[in-house]
Amino acid sequence: MSDTLQKEEQIKASINAAFRSAKVSIQRKGRIIVEFRGGILPAFASYLKEYLNFKHLSMISGVDWPEDNQFELVYHLWSYEQSIHVMVKVRLDREAAKTKTLTPLWEHAETYEREIHEMLGVEFEGHPNMRDFILEDWDDLPPMRRDFMTREYVDEVYEWRKGREDAQDVRQTIAEQYNTEVPNFNNEDK
Amino acid sequence: MKEDWGKEAGNIIARWARKHSLWVLAYGTGCGAIEIPPTMTSRYDAERFGITGMATPRQADVLLITGYLAVKTLKRVIRTYEQMQSPKYVMGFGSCTINGGMYWDSYNTIKRLDDYLPVDIFINGCMPRPEGVIDGFIELQKLIDSGQANGWKKYQDNLEWYRTNQKKVIKNWKMPDYNW
Amino acid sequence: MDTSFNLWILLMPFVGALVGLTYMGIGRRIIARVQHRYGPPIFQNIVDVLKLYSKKTAITHGVMFHLAPTLAITGTISTLMFLPILTGPHGIYLFSFKGDLILLMYIMVFGCLAMALGAGQSGNPNSAIGVSRGLSQMVGYEAPFVIAMVTLMVQFNTTSVHDIIKAQDSFVHWNMFQSPFAFIAALFAFLGFMGNKPFDVVIAPAEIASGPPSEFGGKYLALMQTNRGMFAFVKLVLYVDLFMGGAANFVSLLAKTFFFYLIPLFVGIVNPRFRTEQAITFFWKWPTVIGLLGFLMVIL
Repeated sequence: MSDTLQKEEQIKASINAAFRSAKVSIQRKGRIIVEFRGGILPAFASYLKEYLNFKHLSMISGVDWPEDNQFELVYHLWSYEQSIHVMVKVRLDREAAKTKTLTPLWEHAETYEREIHEMLGVEFEGHPNMRDFILEDWDDLPPMRRDFMTREYVDEVYEWRKGREDAQDVRQTIAEQYNTEVPNFNNEDK
Repeated sequence: MKEDWGKEAGNIIARWARKHSLWVLAYGTGCGAIEIPPTMTSRYDAERFGITGMATPRQADVLLITGYLAVKTLKRVIRTYEQMQSPKYVMGFGSCTINGGMYWDSYNTIKRLDDYLPVDIFINGCMPRPEGVIDGFIELQKLIDSGQANGWKKYQDNLEWYRTNQKKVIKNWKMPDYNW
Repeated sequence: MDTSFNLWILLMPFVGALVGLTYMGIGRRIIARVQHRYGPPIFQNIVDVLKLYSKKTAITHGVMFHLAPTLAITGTISTLMFLPILTGPHGIYLFSFKGDLILLMYIMVFGCLAMALGAGQSGNPNSAIGVSRGLSQMVGYEAPFVIAMVTLMVQFNTTSVHDIIKAQDSFVHWNMFQSPFAFIAALFAFLGFMGNKPFDVVIAPAEIASGPPSEFGGKYLALMQTNRGMFAFVKLVLYVDLFMGGAANFVSLLAKTFFFYLIPLFVGIVNPRFRTEQAITFFWKWPTVIGLLGFLMVIL
């Protein structure tokens, strides 16, 4: 067991030596989780990229933890040489969610950060382009926050067509609305 | 009655021509777009009914909305629809256009297409197969023949109502007005 | 100036448009059969045009935009007027005694230029791309076409279409066989003229919407489709006149023009699309060289 996890242990040791505040745990072979706190994320990311050869940023995902009053950003990094996947988890305060951008290191981080900004409301300092990404002119709470009540918002903004809830025939509803007869979809008489 | 026969004959010819030549602008927003290529190509060959795909809204007669519409795409669809030349028809394709389908509680997709655009015919199913699409086109041809497919007139007459609905979901209404 | 002359002047544009559109319908049907489809009815294109005429039209982009379809169809009709449609004792000559081959070559481009102006004013980027591609490609295929025409003029020492037709009095004297090099060059230019598959980068469906006419709809598009049908007929009749010795009656005219229509159609079915610069390189290489070869043979 120990010889198979040799590379992972090496990486863990070097991260621990360089960054005291990082809590490294090895989940299984080829997968390392780093829980990192503090505002020097770009320095840590550039350390991983330049010294430990984690050249590839696969994606950034955001998680909402209203119980802890925190957002969690997960940076997925991949090393081609060692075939190891590192997840860097960063916790941010929910009230003033702010962190530094990683666009100087990976240009494509721009898209992920824009999306997280739009869906969770996290600010990325130094991001070149924080415009709307998927949603247009959204003025409510960011929709992927867990305290955003989707069902209430939908009830308020959109109209339901009757027949959805009580398993009624939708064809009947449409026909009643336009004063037409219910089309016959029985193919036997055709 | 007698003096109207020329107009009447013209109407009959126009209706017949409209019925047999439907140029479709397939607005492939949702998963339904994948059903259009088999409908148009060798297997189901919609061209034998005079149904052809068209690339620009100016030349198209039928706006085929395949699947769900997010608020952002709804804005584009309205622009596309208003650029089309009347008589124009809208086909709602799939459950998503009827009552939201599997996106029934999504915060960003509209639930009832006919609140925003005058839909002439719905094809239900998730997804409707190419047979269903061709069946829908034939029903539309019947509606055109009997003069019931006049969603474009309804849109002109009830423009205020449609605009109110559209502006309720599209918050930033920056669009040119198209005269027709 | 008798009544039949006036009648034909009035009727010929309609006949031309009908024949051209029907040929296109047959072409669609043939393409469908090659692709193992059933295909639309033969008269589908005529139905399409009727439908387009019945549409309401409310598009405004400027004066030239409104004029373009009209100018294009004017160019086509005037080309048609200077063509001998039928020859022989029951011939339909229209105004062709007053014009010659040089006038025809000149006036044939008129419609394309009008279209280019109108499409340019529509402000649609797809139109602009289509126009630039179309004009570049025209520079390509005009070269072998002009060489072939000059070869014919030098060969018969005349610019009159009538004299060229008269010289081809029997089957063996057709220019097809008499000056094959000019014929081959002109045939390649014809592929470019018709805008079928290898050289359809101008319209390029699914790539730049529908090219120059992207912004034209309704009645404008109807005029343009009519123009397309009529222009196809004009080109077919011109080629029949020049290389097949004209036609004495409508049956032989239809047979000969249909033969010419099938050539670009079948070439188009089996070939993918050329890019603009590939098309120009192609036109300036083989057809031009072959044309010049024929020209040299005629001079020497």
